Amino acid sequence: MSVDYANLDRSKPPVVMKSKDVKFPAYFEDKLHNGIKVFVIEDDKLPLISVKFVIKTGTYDDLAFGEDSSGLASLTSDLLVKGTDKMNAVEVAETIDFHGASISGGCEYDATYLSLTSLKKYFTGLFDIVSDLLMNPAFLDEEVEREKQQIANSLLSCLDEGSFLAERGFKKNVYENSPYKLNIEGKISSVNIFQRKNIKEFFDKFYLPGNLIIAIVGDIKSSDAISLIKSKFDGWKKKSVYDRTIYKKDSLTKTKVFAIEKKGAVQSEVLLGHLGVDRKNPDYFPVVAMNTLLGGYFTSRINKNLREINGYTYGARSYFNFRKHSGDFCVETSVENSLTYNAIKEIISELDKIKNEYVTVEELESVKNYLTGSYPLQLETPNAIANKIINLELYGIEKDFYDTFISKINAVTLEDIRNVSEKYLHPGNLVISIAGKVEIIKETMEQIAQVDVLNNIEEL
Amino acid sequence: MSDNIKLHLDIKEFELPNGMKVIMSKRSELPIMSMNMTFYVGSKDEEENKTGIAHLLEHLMFEGSPNTGKGEFDEILNNNGGDSNAYTSWDMTGYYLVLPSTKLELGLWLDSDRLTGFGISEESFKVQQSVVLEEKLQTQDNVPYGSLEEESSGRLFKTSGYRWPVIGFKDNIENLKLSDAEDFFNRFYKPNNAVLSIVGDIDYSETEKLVTKYYGGIERGEKIPRKKFTDGYLIKENSSTIISDVQLPGKFMFYLIPKIGSREYYEMQILNKIFTAGESSKLYNEMVYNSQMANEAESMIYGMEHISIFFVNLIARKGVKVEELEMKFDDILERIKNGNISDEEIQKAKNKLETGYFAKFSSSVFLSEKLSEYKTLFGNYESLINEINMYESINRNDIINISNKYLNKNQRVNLSYLPKE
Repeated sequence: MSVDYANLDRSKPPVVMKSKDVKFPAYFEDKLHNGIKVFVIEDDKLPLISVKFVIKTGTYDDLAFGEDSSGLASLTSDLLVKGTDKMNAVEVAETIDFHGASISGGCEYDATYLSLTSLKKYFTGLFDIVSDLLMNPAFLDEEVEREKQQIANSLLSCLDEGSFLAERGFKKNVYENSPYKLNIEGKISSVNIFQRKNIKEFFDKFYLPGNLIIAIVGDIKSSDAISLIKSKFDGWKKKSVYDRTIYKKDSLTKTKVFAIEKKGAVQSEVLLGHLGVDRKNPDYFPVVAMNTLLGGYFTSRINKNLREINGYTYGARSYFNFRKHSGDFCVETSVENSLTYNAIKEIISELDKIKNEYVTVEELESVKNYLTGSYPLQLETPNAIANKIINLELYGIEKDFYDTFISKINAVTLEDIRNVSEKYLHPGNLVISIAGKVEIIKETMEQIAQVDVLNNIEEL
Repeated sequence: MSDNIKLHLDIKEFELPNGMKVIMSKRSELPIMSMNMTFYVGSKDEEENKTGIAHLLEHLMFEGSPNTGKGEFDEILNNNGGDSNAYTSWDMTGYYLVLPSTKLELGLWLDSDRLTGFGISEESFKVQQSVVLEEKLQTQDNVPYGSLEEESSGRLFKTSGYRWPVIGFKDNIENLKLSDAEDFFNRFYKPNNAVLSIVGDIDYSETEKLVTKYYGGIERGEKIPRKKFTDGYLIKENSSTIISDVQLPGKFMFYLIPKIGSREYYEMQILNKIFTAGESSKLYNEMVYNSQMANEAESMIYGMEHISIFFVNLIARKGVKVEELEMKFDDILERIKNGNISDEEIQKAKNKLETGYFAKFSSSVFLSEKLSEYKTLFGNYESLINEINMYESINRNDIINISNKYLNKNQRVNLSYLPKE
């Protein structure tokens, strides 16, 4: 091959073609007579199969049992893998591990998960066990006590982490009424009082076929997957699904600063923001584009300002947490103690700027190119695709969401960005939560607002 | 186990006359591609008074090149739907970028320009120096037990470049100069010291043509002299207690084990799974579940070019002393050394390794990184695909022998972290 290296013009980027269109992969869906929603994604590239059970409950439902029930959803989900009447926790772990598989259970605010990943050759047998764990967990007293100790100790060690402390201060003060204010794992005092009957009550109320989504992905035919699911779940009796409590709307009036002492801190962990929007908000696409430009990717305004221009931090980003019944917006960074005020001032000025001025055509173009160009990367693994499909069902999003993603991002205008930043960003009404050296935080942050020092953070 | 292993991997490789090695793997399900450029240089190649330069240079490589100005690399990339990142280890420095596959040539232009010359300004250097200092605070100094790497390195190694943390010592990082970065760049960032892997929706002959166009004219560097590795296994236990801002006491053990890729290294991988894979593993079952002494109990292996590290991480429950954790761990280990281990446990570990093996091939970013890494360390990518067969012939006796050979008390660094009173 002869190449004329001397005449290679490196001064300008080569002209490249537009990216090719990508179609969201085909998948199979079904609904059992008892209300269970089923998805299957076939992918035979690797001899692996996963199943993900998703129950439409989570920390949001903790408050259905009173203010002191923080952590109940999480404890219940942790205990799923700890055995059934037929098999105790040790036997379950031994069987799963022996086959080289893994299982995990856990919850978030709006969803609870139980999942299994296994080699194809062992999947059917293990699916049986995990299905039983989901429908017939034993919740033995002994396992409840064990898990409570584990959580209490984990909550203690969380106090060593600035990000945990800042998040507690933030969530608790952004959300006043809604359960999104809670720590998913709960607090030491609440977890301590839970007993088997509380867990059983939570399980019976929320773990219902009508609340369940099952997704099987990997090296399996959809017809085989469906028969497998039916053979285990057809007999799960339908019960009526409860009405979910909707809590009083949260609001925010003026900027408040909260400081939390982190022992031996050499940096401040900063979380600032306010209420955002729920997942079904009609402005979803402009909000995503606006946030990407502001702090959602490496060349965003906030990261460029704080990291690339000022060198204040290893990284800074902003994001909207879109929840089912509400949501929040926050900016997150870690900076050396003495830079705390400067960094926060820069963040606020970026919020002011995007709220008050149009972004440029080039900036919006770059965001669109980034979001649409990187979209196919999110479809690389069958598990990632499964999570996307599950989200449609979990949040009640339109079926064509992923097929129209690229065109809807491309349709966002400068005017849309202006509107959503005007509507959803409130730099004058921020909750600023900082974990670090309280003395330093107080000294400098009083310029912005009165600093409230939060104590007993483990009980927030 | 190998009878069931089928991988649809399509791989081709070639080498440019300037010594740059290139591996291509075609997968066309999605119109994307990942590139990984790995240089055979890491923190162990630094001078002892300039630790941190390998990692700082990694940051700087995004800050400008002869034909791209400060910040342009990521701007151009993001603007084309791409993303990038990089990592530095003891032995290697890897850069990846992802782009829609129609934009392969743009990726090659961006990446190759960094090799045509050093294009970093004093201003960029200063900014990235402070970014790295903040990174050190964020990922180590402000994190519970975050000083472990710094505390253990100097105790495990006495003469080699493994004796300092990859990110470097604070004093050194603060005193580094732009010229240090340029010197380091000029010594190590040469095509004959690099492996480029490209995975995705690509055409082999077109890709080979474009890679040749952009990298072929870059001059080969001098043969790089490598320092002889002079550290050996420990012969005396090195214990220390660190008083720190932590809620729960921690006990951390470090043993030196054979280098990555050796037969004994794979034996250690099996032993590691026995210790740590799943809730039925020795550490979890005995220390967290049954005795409830520990809140976390796990082990891991850091595979390194000359000698590797087996690391045991034990966090106590409130009220449990680190001495109790140590006794319990020693008891578990002693039973393995005495042969108290079943064929089923060996088989379980092998099954865990088999499932984990496939994970390496799931994403193109990860596959391109692994192809470059294996080619750099072993001189061939085939070991990535074949390593699963290494485990087959390993049996119970091998595991008992290896634990007796490398996991003795006098061969370890033994660190305790205690809360301030």
